[in-house]
Amino acid sequence: MYRYLAQEASEAEIKALFEWIDESAENRKTFIRYKQAWALTSSSQDDSEVLWKSLNKKDSFSKKTRILTLSVQKYAAVAIVIFALGLFVEYLIQKESSDSVYFSQTEIEVPPGQMSKVTLPDGTAVHLNSGSKLFYNADFSSGKRLVKLEGEAFFDVYSDKKHPFIVHTPGDISLKVYGTSFNIQAYPKEGEINTTLVEGSLGVFDQAGNELSLLIPGQNAQYIKSENKIVLSDVNTGLFTSWKEGLVTFRDESLQNIALKIERWYNVEIIFENTELKEDLYNGTILKNKPIDQILEVFKLTSSLEYRIEYRTDQPTLIYWK
Amino acid sequence: MTLDNNSLNDFLFSRFKNGDELAFEHIFKSKFNQIIGFCDQFISDHDDAKNITQEAFINLWLNRNKIEKPSGINSFLYTFAKSNCLNFIRHQAVEEKYTDHALHEKEQLLNAEVLESFDFNSLEFIELEELIQKSISNLPEKCREVFIKKRFEGKMNKEIAEDLGINIKSVEANMTRAIKALKKNLSEYLPAILVQLIVQYLN
Repeated sequence: MYRYLAQEASEAEIKALFEWIDESAENRKTFIRYKQAWALTSSSQDDSEVLWKSLNKKDSFSKKTRILTLSVQKYAAVAIVIFALGLFVEYLIQKESSDSVYFSQTEIEVPPGQMSKVTLPDGTAVHLNSGSKLFYNADFSSGKRLVKLEGEAFFDVYSDKKHPFIVHTPGDISLKVYGTSFNIQAYPKEGEINTTLVEGSLGVFDQAGNELSLLIPGQNAQYIKSENKIVLSDVNTGLFTSWKEGLVTFRDESLQNIALKIERWYNVEIIFENTELKEDLYNGTILKNKPIDQILEVFKLTSSLEYRIEYRTDQPTLIYWK
Repeated sequence: MTLDNNSLNDFLFSRFKNGDELAFEHIFKSKFNQIIGFCDQFISDHDDAKNITQEAFINLWLNRNKIEKPSGINSFLYTFAKSNCLNFIRHQAVEEKYTDHALHEKEQLLNAEVLESFDFNSLEFIELEELIQKSISNLPEKCREVFIKKRFEGKMNKEIAEDLGINIKSVEANMTRAIKALKKNLSEYLPAILVQLIVQYLN
């Protein structure tokens, strides 16, 4: 009997037990009392912290979570595409294995000019920067913490010593952590991948699973795709992570480069009336989500760049810098 | 000021009734695995057991106005788990564990019968539940650790020895002590067969 309750009994033993139960009402009653006691004293070994977080996500049982959901909805630009549809239809047709439904994948895409924050099923918070995509499989929460990133993201990984959190990038390297926060820039078209560790520890791996380097907090690893090498340096992590607060920090960046970025963020065209200015270097932090005239005002105050705005119908606004 | 267990429970309960999420979180964390463990005994898929349990807690929170005393929380959770497990058994097609279909059918019937026999609003249940928890928490520390690892975490003596940094002999000695203590505490209340069952498995 206790082998059955502990799920250790063989099929033959179970059969014998069930036959014994049917022999008399007394036996049946005994079995029921045993099973009752067993059920009441059972306990599973799930991590209550993880379950609590998933409950918070699953149901908006409190005002707090409702507000959160609303603010997420406000970033209406976040498009969630379920790739699974095709696979799922295939599953319905074939209906051979009940497991194939778990191949579904979630994609979160943030268009240029937007930012987004998402919470993954394990409680990990991810800030996604403009023009980024994040992918994860439907079986993500069952111990497999694996995501794929194209673009820039700041991860605040929920601590779980048993299950590493792995980020695949388009540059053939992966990052493995347990509970930590770090930033990654991994845009597919760029020739390098930067990862900056704020706290915890972080391993950089190649495709074959070999550890290339192990970062300590405050370090940045720059992976250069064409040379297949990694350069480690000590950095001010704020420079790499401030974007998630809507701050953009420039360090010795040419005005020409900055103009390109502003053009992308605000859908404007910038014309240098004095072309020598293009090579001038700028240092400073701006708030990205402010109106364009306020941004231009900041440049005026910090580096005496004069500006003129020309609004045009059906065409991007023109800005003259001198 | 130190609070004894009872006044701490009352305090938590009144915070919970007033919609304090922290109190709810505390209740959730202390009871969640017990409810899953309960569902696991009747439903073979652990994820389904987890889902039912989550639903139970969500409903507990939504119905907190209707719960009148601290022991009502347990009654509510177990009653919810019971009726949802029953629905599940009756209406969901589940993967069969055995090669013999008749065995599977029989098990489902027995599970339903056991579930139906529970009355979670009875005084007997409330006292039994409290007694089991109390008996476990009253064990000497090492005993309790060994007992929980063996019974609730399903570990082997060797693993327990490694976890606690003691040798196997003292794991066994602590199990014997735990069994004796439980036998004494529980037998004052539980039918001898139940004590026998719990104790038998531990050996």
